[in-house]
Amino acid sequence: MTDSTDNGTESADDQPTRTPPPAQPNYDNTFDAIVVGAGLAGSAAAITMANEDLDVLMIERGAYPGAKNVFGGVMYTPTIRDLVGMDGAPIERYVGQRRYAMLTEEDEIGATVNIGDWHEEPHNDSFTVLRGDFDEWLADQAVEAGATLITETTVTDLIRENGYIVGVETDRPEGALRAPIVVLAEGGNSLVSEGAGLKPAPDRKDVAVAVKEVIEFPGDSAQVIEDRFRLGDEDGAAYHYFGEGAAGKSFGGAFIYTNDDTVSVGLAYRIEDSITQGINPEKRLNEFKSHPAVAPLFKDARTVEYTAKTIPEGGAEAMPKLVHNGALLVGDTAGLVLNNGVHLEGTNMAVESGYHAGKAVVEAFNSIPATERTAGATAAGGQTARADGGMVIPSSHLQSYPDRLEESFVVKNLEHYEWLIHRVTEDKELLFEELPAALADAAAEYFAIDREPKQVHGARAKERVLGTLGGLRGLVKLGWRYRKIVR
Amino acid sequence: MSTKSPSPGIVQNASLEDRLYTVKYEDPGESHLDVENPGICTTCHEDACVDVCPAKVWRKDADGTPTIAYENCLECGSCRFACPNENVIWTYPERGAGVTYKKG
Repeated sequence: MTDSTDNGTESADDQPTRTPPPAQPNYDNTFDAIVVGAGLAGSAAAITMANEDLDVLMIERGAYPGAKNVFGGVMYTPTIRDLVGMDGAPIERYVGQRRYAMLTEEDEIGATVNIGDWHEEPHNDSFTVLRGDFDEWLADQAVEAGATLITETTVTDLIRENGYIVGVETDRPEGALRAPIVVLAEGGNSLVSEGAGLKPAPDRKDVAVAVKEVIEFPGDSAQVIEDRFRLGDEDGAAYHYFGEGAAGKSFGGAFIYTNDDTVSVGLAYRIEDSITQGINPEKRLNEFKSHPAVAPLFKDARTVEYTAKTIPEGGAEAMPKLVHNGALLVGDTAGLVLNNGVHLEGTNMAVESGYHAGKAVVEAFNSIPATERTAGATAAGGQTARADGGMVIPSSHLQSYPDRLEESFVVKNLEHYEWLIHRVTEDKELLFEELPAALADAAAEYFAIDREPKQVHGARAKERVLGTLGGLRGLVKLGWRYRKIVR
Repeated sequence: MSTKSPSPGIVQNASLEDRLYTVKYEDPGESHLDVENPGICTTCHEDACVDVCPAKVWRKDADGTPTIAYENCLECGSCRFACPNENVIWTYPERGAGVTYKKG
């Protein structure tokens, strides 16, 4: 599969004093596909291609897969289960309990969802995980399937010839590597794809900034977590928070996820709001953790890791073109993240996109007769696009990737919630600030204990809510605006 | 409603310095961040980079020149998206340098 440049021959004019360079494999032109980034999308693509006997090289800029990766904390695993199974997957806890809560500056109103079935296998395919472990495991599955992984190597640019992406430039000495296909799985801060003109720089209205801390408790940390969050040995909690007490006056929210013996706590909101509302993510996270309804969960805890990332949240409209001559965009690079307030998903979409991209590449290779796969052959009707005569694959041969993605839950979900995200953006103040405050006031009124009859309190509580919404007409209008939510 | 000040120190190591100390970091030796044109920064009053950065990488001198504490950088990329003038030069730290998240 791979040849070494160190061919072991010694010619007579070799300088006897010169130390030979360390054996460094030369990967140029030896692979069918190069995957930029060994995160979840990249590894899913690599597994899919390697399973069909393509020679795949994964290039990871971190010290190991996952070293540069951050997410909130819940992984949805149906596709991974189908692709490689879940045996040995480094999961922290299954999600047995969800909680959705609105926070004003000092109040909380929430609901807990605890479904009996979630406690049975396959646990609704929802698990808390830590990316340092999980991404490395998934990349290992790709290597086991036959892919090659190199780490601590940064792709700095793409090589383009005659309108085709024909390889990558890296920060290694003589680091140019050519292959017929490049899969761009470099994450949301996609410098290579943008630099090569494969996607525009996203607008800051469409990108969220996220910060997260992994927290540990003194003593038996796992036991403290189980006590505080009312959990058993293996089940975990996923808490989502909205409102001013969570992510300030912004389109965003905060989260708490329980791992095995740590807790992930963080928040995310649009970069635009950070600027117009003057919210700094680091300060905001401290304020969230200090909220009276949240602080007791973290008493005496200690932060063991602080992380940050950006999230593409532009939805279906902001999705870039997914296939190019010789290249495909997957995962966060393709903007595949769903945040409609209730569902926060991205890693499952990354895996799904990597899988479909990998399938499309396999089909493209299969559409070219094996005898023509040697150097000099092309998929573009005999015309040689690459300067070295190597094979190229035009975007038309990769079209099954965007087609399959359109038919998958990935694009269907993004499109389904497009309207919701627009509405929520328009109604941001009402939904994130005014309504939570009114509901908290109404609840305080409704449950007030004094010597007035309950009927009086009930009527006042109703007034508080309707006052904020603009009366019954306002409530009906709001209901109409969000009617598709249950469709 | 009363405005109680949030109780500080819920988490023992709550300062930004403490938290940045939890991140494994290898100095690439030179900054992976820069600005295209410092003149743009001195006339910029939005300071989006300063507002959005979760790690206090971006600060501005009295004359508005940006100073970049690149060794604080968590590599989120938010400054690049935030800058209204597209003035941030952002490159990946090379050869595995920069942050290494153990948990992520």
